[in-house]
Amino acid sequence: MSPEIIQPPEWAWYYIAVYFFVAGTSAGAYFIGAMEELFGSGGEREVSRAACYIAFPLLVLVPIPLIADLGRPERFWHLFIYNQGGYPYLNLVSPMSVGSWVLLIFSACALLSFLDNLVADRVISFPLFSRYYNRIPRRLYAVLGSLAGFFIAGYTGVLLNVTARPFWAATSPLMGALFIVSGASTGAAAISLYLIWRRRNSGGEVERLEAFDRVVMVSELVLIALLLVLAGRTALPLMTLPFVAMFWLGTVALGIVVPLWFKYRSRRHPFGDAPVLAHYLCILAGGLLLRISLLQAGQL
Amino acid sequence: MAKGMFVDTTICTGCKACQVACKQWNGLSAEPAHFGKRSGVPYPVADNFTGDSYDNTGTLSATDWRHVRFIEQIDESRREKRWLFSSDSCKHCSDAGCLNACPTKAIVRTDLGNVVVQQETCIGCKFCIPSCPYGVISFSEETGTAHKCTLCNDRIHNGLGTACAKACPTGSIRFGELADLKKRADARLAQLKGKGEQARIYGYEEADGLKVFYLFADRPKVYGQPEDPVVPQRRLVLCSLVTILTAIGVGAAALVNFRERLNGKDEEESNES
Repeated sequence: MSPEIIQPPEWAWYYIAVYFFVAGTSAGAYFIGAMEELFGSGGEREVSRAACYIAFPLLVLVPIPLIADLGRPERFWHLFIYNQGGYPYLNLVSPMSVGSWVLLIFSACALLSFLDNLVADRVISFPLFSRYYNRIPRRLYAVLGSLAGFFIAGYTGVLLNVTARPFWAATSPLMGALFIVSGASTGAAAISLYLIWRRRNSGGEVERLEAFDRVVMVSELVLIALLLVLAGRTALPLMTLPFVAMFWLGTVALGIVVPLWFKYRSRRHPFGDAPVLAHYLCILAGGLLLRISLLQAGQL
Repeated sequence: MAKGMFVDTTICTGCKACQVACKQWNGLSAEPAHFGKRSGVPYPVADNFTGDSYDNTGTLSATDWRHVRFIEQIDESRREKRWLFSSDSCKHCSDAGCLNACPTKAIVRTDLGNVVVQQETCIGCKFCIPSCPYGVISFSEETGTAHKCTLCNDRIHNGLGTACAKACPTGSIRFGELADLKKRADARLAQLKGKGEQARIYGYEEADGLKVFYLFADRPKVYGQPEDPVVPQRRLVLCSLVTILTAIGVGAAALVNFRERLNGKDEEESNES
């Protein structure tokens, strides 16, 4: 009797799970780009450039589902300003409150990196600022943005873990970890897709990205296994029909295991362009289905 | 001083006067989910009776801030039977999951210790709803905000007791100072134990102490209350630590891969030259 009395929030998956996915992918991509920027050779900048061109446009989409899912969308600004006092409000024990603020910081860093790359690629120019161009503290906001990005990728999982719903509570404390790893993996896939689109998917940089992605995806599988062990009986919804297709077939099989096998195999036997493209799309779809499955399994 | 309520379920008769008084004082409409339109009938028809003993609402909701639960206990041989009643509401936890979760300061605690939702501040994010370990706070599609019992905030700040306690004909629901209520509860518990009856207080320890606490004649589970309620935010530190460690791990993996390959490449190049 007791677990059922805890009400589900009835967050719409097409808003909230999609937000988890888009924000996670954006954050993962930004972090990878920043790591390349900070620790890469500096000779090749394709990956970090791709990351910046992915992170910000994805973030622009983020407020739409978040605000649309509110009961009173016109009041979304109450997340930042306490409407009865007129002062800024932050609740440190509420992941949603901290997450809203960090989303602002992350967006600012992603915007700066985005503009920076547009200037470097001579798409836009700020003649007035050109004199100060070399004095911009790029590394500072790359580091700050990466930290904020990690937070954005992970806090959504922590947010689910600190509720009383049986599945979300039982999977504590691993949901945040899984979302971070999945965000890194989908971020890497998004960067690779961008590079394929721009026909720049070759060279040492891409190889390094692939190697990183393999490590990340193996740890994602391990985390999913641990999470299911922790969940125990509360994970039973994952054995019912829509979830068998979404979670086991979509996320685990087509989203992680098959692409991983493909990655290892293609090191020795290169495949054609079409399968390479398809396996990145599979990783992205798997990441989205992972968020939908874990969100909905907790709301049944 | 902290106010609260003591609900002695052993003297509840299941009359639902508390449910009615709550609805009337707080101006709560009938449960929308329980009424439907039927073709040819100009008014909404009640079509959702629970069929569970005398229970007519089933759960607490945005418009049902009190819920009287009817528990029919009949043994296998159908010789022994017992009918338990319990009037449930928000417990006004001393460490409230809903209040902790609220990102807008819509949920606040007043000087009397009760937890209220400020309707003009709530944005309807629904995060408080799964954060309540008792399943109390609920979302209203009608207002787009969260609702729950306020411990009759307007009444208690004007020297009155709660509407439900005022209406209770048997004294099962008592409103007052927490310290006084605890004394009363302990005395009643001792009395029942002295008669050899099974009884327990629910709400002294849970969530740092519930401002609305109960005397039960059976396990809390029987009354639909969690046996070991956990304030969900108590997991926050561990969850955050594990997530941060994972972030460091992913960062390290990136560092190793991006650097190692780079170094490997440099060596190859230097070998070639």
